[in-house]
Amino acid sequence: MSRRTEFEFLGRVTIGQYLPTGSALHRLDPRTKLLVCLLLIAVVVASQSLLGIMLLLGAVLIGLALARIPLSFALSGLRAMLPYLLLLALLQTFAIPQYAANATVLWRWAMLTITDRSILAGILLIARFSVMVLGLSLFSFSTTTTELTHGIEHLLRPWQKLGLPAHELALTVNIALRFVPIIAEEAERLMKAQASRGADFGQGRNFIQRTRKLLPLLVPLFLVSLHRADNLIEAMEARCYLGGKGRTHLIHLQAHAADYLALAAAFALMALVIGLSTANADQLLWRLLSTYL
Amino acid sequence: MIRAEEPLIRVEGLHYTYQAGTPKPIPALRGIDLTVQAGEYVAVIGANGSGKSTLLRHFNALLLPTAGNVWVTKWNTRDTVHLRDIRSTVTMVFQVPDDQIVASVVEEDVAFGPENLGVPEDELHQRVDWALAAVGLTELRHRASRLLSSGQKQRLAIAAALAMQPRCLVLDEATAMLDPAGQTQVRKILHQLHQDGMTIISATHNMAEAVQAQRVVVLSEGRIAIQGDPRFVFAQEETLHALQLDVPYPTRMARMLATVIRDFPTDVLTVTELAEAISMHLGQPLELRPKPTTGVR
Amino acid sequence: MSTTTRKIVIAGVMGAISIFLGASHLGFIPWLAGAALTIMHVPVIIGAVLEGPVVGLAIGLIFGAFSLLQAAIAPTGPADVWFTNPLVSIVPRLFIGPMAWLAYKALKTTNEALSLAISGVVGSLTNTILVLGVLGLYRFLPWALIGTIAVTNGLPEAVVAAIITLAVVAAWKRLESGRRSSTI
Ligand SMILES: Nc1ncnc2c1ncn2[C@@H]1O[C@H](COP(=O)(O)OP(=O)(O)OP(=O)(O)O)[C@@H](O)[C@H]1O
Ligand SMILES: [Mg+2]
Repeated sequence: MSRRTEFEFLGRVTIGQYLPTGSALHRLDPRTKLLVCLLLIAVVVASQSLLGIMLLLGAVLIGLALARIPLSFALSGLRAMLPYLLLLALLQTFAIPQYAANATVLWRWAMLTITDRSILAGILLIARFSVMVLGLSLFSFSTTTTELTHGIEHLLRPWQKLGLPAHELALTVNIALRFVPIIAEEAERLMKAQASRGADFGQGRNFIQRTRKLLPLLVPLFLVSLHRADNLIEAMEARCYLGGKGRTHLIHLQAHAADYLALAAAFALMALVIGLSTANADQLLWRLLSTYL
Repeated sequence: MIRAEEPLIRVEGLHYTYQAGTPKPIPALRGIDLTVQAGEYVAVIGANGSGKSTLLRHFNALLLPTAGNVWVTKWNTRDTVHLRDIRSTVTMVFQVPDDQIVASVVEEDVAFGPENLGVPEDELHQRVDWALAAVGLTELRHRASRLLSSGQKQRLAIAAALAMQPRCLVLDEATAMLDPAGQTQVRKILHQLHQDGMTIISATHNMAEAVQAQRVVVLSEGRIAIQGDPRFVFAQEETLHALQLDVPYPTRMARMLATVIRDFPTDVLTVTELAEAISMHLGQPLELRPKPTTGVR
Repeated sequence: MSTTTRKIVIAGVMGAISIFLGASHLGFIPWLAGAALTIMHVPVIIGAVLEGPVVGLAIGLIFGAFSLLQAAIAPTGPADVWFTNPLVSIVPRLFIGPMAWLAYKALKTTNEALSLAISGVVGSLTNTILVLGVLGLYRFLPWALIGTIAVTNGLPEAVVAAIITLAVVAAWKRLESGRRSSTI
């Protein structure tokens, strides 16, 4: 790849990848999507039950189908990661001693031990990651950046009344998302200007040299950004911005029946998964399977 | 249009010094007296560093005087109790289009100012509709603001300022970063707003824009060097040159013609006036026809 | 001048730089054996030093949330598997800013330049230690390996963060004191 095209790529840095299929899922209130997404992340992390995670995986696949996202599309991220995933899962299964007291040792050689728990940990690692990849991809395929900022702002609005700086946080995120393309453009401009003077970024024998070679790009990038921040501050003050107090709102999101339905389904599923995890459902299943097989 | 008895903006003995109280103070304004009446169109010109931006930022209390006073209607800008009143009476449009857009969607950015003022929601919608229509962006209201051209972004900035329903619009080199088409569009919008009664104060390096004003204020080293109507100001070419300023292009042309054509008028300001003067000289009445778009001649 | 407006905007813009450094891969400096040093946390440190701990916290949150999102929707390496866990990608990042700010504040009066470099080191090490610590607690990696990574990646990252923080903040303050009445 030539340096020129590499720079031009910077100008198009995007967050997420919206895929407008116009499905019912796309039309959900961004608050719904955001809430379900946050809930999903929390439950995937908290749940210790493989059964539960598999349920979530099923739900996410159904979600992808509802959103009319081609499965091959959604899976592309996972496919590239497969070798690493297997490697890490193996690391979990073999090399990392499993301290669980009630684990059954299945195999042992020198420092390597496999227990039933460690196999489960390896499989869980893959399953968890798959749910996260597919779930967050589904979210980003079906939500625009604008919807995302709306969702964050509206979800946070009620917290303002409790005295939390919710409006400020929402505005911060909004400004961050708005400035990413501006900063990308600025970086592209700086790189082109300096490449024409023969600068080579990040090249050098050791990391200190590489860092020092990056400074002629990074320092102006930060300074220009801070300068533009000053401009924006002035513009906001000129428009009477004095914090979140007493503001009114042009945009009000409307939740519909579909949103309540989606939320109810999501909450039910998540409760089930947490239930399975606390009830140690996997162990029961494991015992059932081992007695009958 | 309500005509207030007091001037809209009154500046008395204004001094402003950056880094006042440090070993290296920078006096940017050194004694400015100026009044702007409601409904006026004032252009502020001056070389780089002459103090235009500094002066303009005093009109809505973004800066407060080091010495002297600035009043917006009856409010002294030092009086922070009236900050909201002052800033919604006099609104500003800045030079860099991207650095004054807050929201990611066009109509939401227009709403940002009035939202801050706590304007009730039905009125909010009316204001946004009106402001977008005034700058011709109604069609693009749901567009992502970053996808606009620079000219459109600057019109958005004007709409955002208008949505505050100000009495005075202050522009600091608002067309400096636009292409000629964008500049013309903004100029037309300002002209129309002025026709509708808006007070406009515009700092500019673009003389074609200054000509459109009723009064031109020339700043030099923090003081007012000349002020008066455009014809009066631009007649003083030598003085302006000494201040590193140009006269409008048609004026320059006319002066060049005057060196070879006896009695050729030198007080022309616009291309139309120049064309009229030439046709007068040729003894043929000027008929400004629309340009033929097709056809062979 | 309203200080909240300043805090919001600086946090947003620094958050944007962090996202940009991650999304463009400019924020990764090639290091031993294909591993990379990251400088995505440097905007967090700079924001905290300039505008205080809350701003640092907010930038850390944006940085963390973005690294979680990126790990899930555009994974590129083994670390992304761990970073889909918010306890790895978000929670540790919340501490970078406040810790860097504490270091800066404690040392500012003795020597400004030194305090900037140290705050870069402290912020960076906070990131390394907490992220690796969580990985260890989760038994994603054996502790021995974690110790090695902490030394081979964490220390150079801290040096890099110190260099950039010092260069950027010193240049900005010099600019500011040239324009405003600030003292450095
Ligand atoms: N923030 C600042 N800090 C210190 N000095 C400043 C600052 N802003 C402007 N100045 C100085 O004040 C003087 C007037 O500047 P100002 O920006 O008002 O001029 P201007 O007429 O708007 O110039 P330009 O045409 O370049 O926009 C200049 O000498 C400038 O260097
Ligand atoms: Mg200026």
